[in-house]
Amino acid sequence: MDEFQEILQDFLVESFELIEQLDQDLVELETRPDDLELLNRIFRVAHTVKGASSFLNFDVLTHLTHHMEDVLNKARHGELVILPAIMDVILESIDLMKALLTTIRDTSADDGIDVSGCVSRLDKCSKGYGEDEVLKSTPAPKEEIKVEEPKEEEIVNVDNSNEPDYDNMDADELEAEIERLLQQRQAEDKEKREQRASNDSAKASNENDAEDEYVPAMKSPVVVTPARKPASFGDDSDSSDEARAASPAKKQSNVEQTIRVDVKRLDHLMNLIGELVLAKNRLIKINDDVEERYEGESFLEELNQVVSIVSIVTTDLQIAVMKTRMLPIGKVFNKFPRMIRDLSRELNKKIELEIFGEETELDKSIVEEIGDPLVHIIRNSCDHGIEIPKIRAEQGKSETGTIKLKAYNEGNQIVIQIDDDGKGLDVDMLKRKSLEKGLITEKEADNMSDKEAFALIFKPGFSTAAVVTNVSGRGVGMDVVKTNIEKVNGIIDIDSEIGIGTSMKLKIPLTLAIIQALLVGVQEEHYAIPLASVLETVRISKDEVYTVEGRSVMRLREDVLSLVHIGDIFEVERVLDSSEYAYVVVLGLGASKLGLIVDTLVGQEEIVIKSLGEFLKGIDGIAGATIRGDGGVTLIVDVVAIMDMAKHVKASAIVDSTSDAAMLTYEKTKASDYTVMIVDDSKTDRTIMRKALEPLGVTLVEAGDGQEALGILKQGDYNFDAMLVDIEMPRMDGYSLATEIKKYNRYKNLPLIAVTSRTGKSDRMRGVESGMVEYITKPYSADYLMSVVQRNINFRSEFLK
Amino acid sequence: MSDKLQQIIKKQNLRDNNQENVNDVVQLVGFVIGDEEYAVPILSIQEIIKPFPWTRVPQVPKYVVGVFNMRGAVIPLIDLRLKFGLNQKKHNEETRFIVMRDGDDVAGFVIDRLTMAIRIKKSNIGPAPDTASGDDTSIDGVGKQEDRIITILKVKKLLQRDF
Repeated sequence: MDEFQEILQDFLVESFELIEQLDQDLVELETRPDDLELLNRIFRVAHTVKGASSFLNFDVLTHLTHHMEDVLNKARHGELVILPAIMDVILESIDLMKALLTTIRDTSADDGIDVSGCVSRLDKCSKGYGEDEVLKSTPAPKEEIKVEEPKEEEIVNVDNSNEPDYDNMDADELEAEIERLLQQRQAEDKEKREQRASNDSAKASNENDAEDEYVPAMKSPVVVTPARKPASFGDDSDSSDEARAASPAKKQSNVEQTIRVDVKRLDHLMNLIGELVLAKNRLIKINDDVEERYEGESFLEELNQVVSIVSIVTTDLQIAVMKTRMLPIGKVFNKFPRMIRDLSRELNKKIELEIFGEETELDKSIVEEIGDPLVHIIRNSCDHGIEIPKIRAEQGKSETGTIKLKAYNEGNQIVIQIDDDGKGLDVDMLKRKSLEKGLITEKEADNMSDKEAFALIFKPGFSTAAVVTNVSGRGVGMDVVKTNIEKVNGIIDIDSEIGIGTSMKLKIPLTLAIIQALLVGVQEEHYAIPLASVLETVRISKDEVYTVEGRSVMRLREDVLSLVHIGDIFEVERVLDSSEYAYVVVLGLGASKLGLIVDTLVGQEEIVIKSLGEFLKGIDGIAGATIRGDGGVTLIVDVVAIMDMAKHVKASAIVDSTSDAAMLTYEKTKASDYTVMIVDDSKTDRTIMRKALEPLGVTLVEAGDGQEALGILKQGDYNFDAMLVDIEMPRMDGYSLATEIKKYNRYKNLPLIAVTSRTGKSDRMRGVESGMVEYITKPYSADYLMSVVQRNINFRSEFLK
Repeated sequence: MSDKLQQIIKKQNLRDNNQENVNDVVQLVGFVIGDEEYAVPILSIQEIIKPFPWTRVPQVPKYVVGVFNMRGAVIPLIDLRLKFGLNQKKHNEETRFIVMRDGDDVAGFVIDRLTMAIRIKKSNIGPAPDTASGDDTSIDGVGKQEDRIITILKVKKLLQRDF
């Protein structure tokens, strides 16, 4: 759709809405003629329509609304009382305005309706002529509206030429003039009406064809042409008839089949869907838990079905709502043909723009965000990319340079590709310039791959242009491109060959609100990484990590990948013992790559991005937060920032720090400084143990099961010297508890003593495997228990009373 | 006649005075941090909840303990003990999160314990001490009630990011 049509559509939709409101207001005005607020509102409508129509070159409409405005202006300043007769004229003018707008909708032009009679009456009103005169002439024009609906080009020509005179004309002169015009018109109208009747049938048959023609027209490359003017005033009636026949079919369907909805409502809807997605995630988690617990039960199948239906419907609903927010990227592309035309004039170059895939749809917020970057990229291509015709000819290229603008879907992303066949990027020159400007160091320049060198053009302060022109060369533009694209989680990929051209790909996610993410674990925390930036994940063992100049790197196939531990970036406290293996999430952002070391991979999940709010915004490395299935909050990693932060982070987490693994031991000065935890689900058993140990005078803490025990340990209120653990417990048994405890650096050496009635050899073995140091079988004597505990906590006998 | 008029005028005056009395009273919610009692206007409080799990946020001052999920909204959690320079304390039975709102800004604050809703006359509220006045302070004023002194906090200031 071309630019003019687009503006016209908006204008029409807006005007019809305004007029609808206007009708109500006018009726009200009649009962309350003194209501200033109401008058103001009506005045503003006339004013708005006038402004827009003059901009769109609808002279007749402008003329009419201008005079309406005059009358209304007087009325609202109290210089004119709205008498019923005057109201009639105003209403008439509004009817005319409607008729004009309808004509515009059907033909893209406002010719064919005579407004002069009404205008003159409006003038009379505003000049305060007697109402009798006004009254007298009212009925006639009402007829006119009906009669004059058929368009008439010639008349409009006359109209236009006469227009400026109206203001100066005397009322009587005017009437005479109108009379003359009317007669002339009516004679011609007859002819035209007949002609029109035949057109109508033609239009009907053309309707289908028009629709068909319309679609391919959009897909085919659009060559720069000046924006289409409103149907010309020329007498070339054949072609304008054709246009008329084609346009109603297209436009009427556009106007009538859309509803304008406040973006706020859509945003609200999107938020609600977000909540629904969260609830769905939660439901899935609960379903998994239930499945585990009641394995094999018949109701599970039913539950599974319901959960999967809810999950599917939610996903579909989300897509459907997302689509309502989608706009064709053509909205942005449309301004470029004109821009290229102007630029090629200014730069004395011959440039042709080809646009593909302008029907590709993107989220509204993204469409708004990418306009500026594209302008910069295209200006850049025109200025630096395409050579002047003479040079192009010397190099054997066609004198006219071509810039191709393509948009297409690729998986969950939209790719916008800007190709030019200009001189391409010169890697050596880029490096030299960056060195001169101190943007990079010599060493960096030497180690740089071509891709990395291309990315230099995005550095702030970088410009390859020898002189600053009007168009570019200030070294700001491309930096803006990068920031804006990254803001919408997009990435930029550049490819270039000297003498052949440059190709830039912007990869942008379809929507901002809900994304696919990889959830990773580090120690006890979880983070979400946008899946779009994850290239792959690799499991590595500790000895695959090398340290080069204080930085960790690993070998990934042919390449050397620099590594950074997520715990170092986010200052994660290391409480858990790191296992032998770690996972590396390979992040890719345009040309650069980074390996992010994490402890565990949790899985892929659809997450809803929530802002951290005003208070916490702009935290380095954090793009937002999401709410998980269990109701907890998980932070979303800002990949762009992490890439940057990784450069300044010292590797520490990867180095095994067994030294601080030892438990903090405090000087014991009395018996009660020793603390022992008793974990048993039976109250009786706990009491027996307590009684047995009380004579020692040590502090005793009780827990009813494994989970509770773990909770107490995590809180860190006590420094435990030993734990007595029952094996058979609900929620978490003794073995699992022991395994969990051993994960913590701090409790690595905490003596765990199993106290159980299980006597089998295999039970004992499992106990040892899970890290129990002693194995006491029930029943036991109090003395035996006491001595075992005493031995394990290095109890000093002098404390015994 | 004039007597009647006088009476009416008197009545009206009385009513005016009563109205003034209503306007004169400030309703506050009191809470304790460390050894001090503080209060904030009751209308700035969105809700008071028992502690529940939160998520740590990196790269922030220590007193910002993290964020938590309040019915779908992600809200920052600030420990007022740490903010006021006291040392950390384990949450116990009396610990509460007070969620305060000022316009669009919302945050949860960890406090040691709640005391009570307080009605206090405006005339009993003094300005913040000279040493802690100006734009930088989060003290709005000092309320005097029989035997105690309550520091009234500026919610706006508490919700303002200062790092």
